[in-house]
Amino acid sequence: MAGRLPRWDVAPKTLVFGAFSFDGNGAVLMQKQENRQLLSGTERRVWQGGRSLVRFARQRFELLLVPVAMAVFVGVWALIGRLGNYPPFLLPTPVQVWNRFLTVAADGTLWYHTSITLWEILGGLVLGLTTASLLGYLLAKSPLLERFLSPYIVASQSVPIVALAPLLIVWFGFGVLSKVLVCALTIFFPVLINTMIGLRTVERDLMDLMRALQASRWQVFRYLELPASLPVLLGGLKIGVTLSVIGAVVGEFAQSDRGLGFLVNLANRGLFDTPLMFVALLVLMTIALSLYGIVSVMEWLLLRWKRES
Amino acid sequence: MPSTLRAEGIRHVYRGGSGELLALDGVSLSVDEGEFVAIVGPSGCGKTTLLRILGGLLTPTEGWVHLNGQPLSSPRRQVGYVFQNVNLMPWRTVLRNVMLPLEVAGVPRGVAEERARQLLALVGMEGFEEAYPRQLSGGMAQRVAIARALVGSPGVLLLDEPFGSLDALSREQMNLELLRIWQARRVTTVMVTHDLQEAIFLADRVLVMSPRPGRIRTQVVVDLPRPRTLEVVYTEFFGALSRRVREALDASSAL
Repeated sequence: MAGRLPRWDVAPKTLVFGAFSFDGNGAVLMQKQENRQLLSGTERRVWQGGRSLVRFARQRFELLLVPVAMAVFVGVWALIGRLGNYPPFLLPTPVQVWNRFLTVAADGTLWYHTSITLWEILGGLVLGLTTASLLGYLLAKSPLLERFLSPYIVASQSVPIVALAPLLIVWFGFGVLSKVLVCALTIFFPVLINTMIGLRTVERDLMDLMRALQASRWQVFRYLELPASLPVLLGGLKIGVTLSVIGAVVGEFAQSDRGLGFLVNLANRGLFDTPLMFVALLVLMTIALSLYGIVSVMEWLLLRWKRES
Repeated sequence: MPSTLRAEGIRHVYRGGSGELLALDGVSLSVDEGEFVAIVGPSGCGKTTLLRILGGLLTPTEGWVHLNGQPLSSPRRQVGYVFQNVNLMPWRTVLRNVMLPLEVAGVPRGVAEERARQLLALVGMEGFEEAYPRQLSGGMAQRVAIARALVGSPGVLLLDEPFGSLDALSREQMNLELLRIWQARRVTTVMVTHDLQEAIFLADRVLVMSPRPGRIRTQVVVDLPRPRTLEVVYTEFFGALSRRVREALDASSAL
């Protein structure tokens, strides 16, 4: 081993590190570099290869857990169905649900209702997110406005949306618009609160820095407020997109003649077609999971700095 | 281009819920082109308040500040400010943190990057361009903050206890580095600190402040030759200067 020690000469970078490694992290950094320098080229490659293999396997293992969990769920469901031998309107088996899915998927019914609900969700998200984040920004910036409006906003949250939905349908008709509004109202509050909290977490000293740089209002927003509050904003978005699915369904439950919520209602109360109801519910879950997944990917892409350490 | 900085009759009162607090009273000072002035004083004497006023971040209740003979009432890009707590943006890489002042000033991206790389080389942070602030040690982060303050080629550099959170060894190291950078740039510099040795080692003049309300009690001219090395600290002359500053500080505290 002694022969390998004076490898400083082939690693000029180590010396650069050495130049200012007086404080904690610097020293650690240097040590890591040193250790790596002690390995020969092949050894290092093997070491790094082994490490990335382990990491890869670990990630794969975690990904494997998703289908495994699903298989367990479906298995337990099938087992309960088999043991109890319930009639399909009480508890359909996975196979019955799957067959029902194939028929409604083939004749276009499922896609028709799904597309309606997706439009309502999309409209609700666009409307809810814009109004909530705009108002959230104003409230975060103006304590006066916050004091003036917050009692109304909080009070409005004590009114169940389920009670409000029929009223909105009376006002705005029972087409897509009233559902978009119910959906927007559902996501409004969590997004509003998260926007306010996010903007308030901006450090005062960084605000001073932006002032010292003579940044404009827009630049302060773009370079400081938006990136600083992004972690909290994305947290609000995660809650928002999940609630948006509920919002659309609540709207459809109140009164409608199309959409997945309508389909659930119809299957459940009109047709006693429980397999169809399960199909609609599973599609709703898939929508919620996909929306959540999209936000998670956004988080992963936008918050790279949080992962590096 | 180095600038001159003058302040006259600065008085500042903080108004809060619990009443008024006189932070500064009748502070006047003048810093020449390319001069390094250190301000020392007991904690809570209004050093940071004074620096914020000099930087245009805070409007004094009374008095005025002139930068190159022009009244200064709001922040200017000719003034580079180094904050007490580093104050880097955690979501930006080292390089992009240093580019920020130029981006805000509307300098084209390519030019800004070029300039930022030069500054990072000057402060000895080459090779860390793509690191994030939380991956850096205190001393390294403060180097980046200094690079950021200098990237817009300001005429004045204001430093608010930049090395206050570092351990003694890193602090010495950073003092040397700061001297080297200052010598390379010859920018008019005002530094606030509570470390007497640091003040004498770096500055041409040391201003001693009294406890609240802050006033400038006396000034000690540091006629140590430049360039200075760490050994100068052990000379008899340095000792004598330290004693004078120390006595001035004690005398003002006793009042």
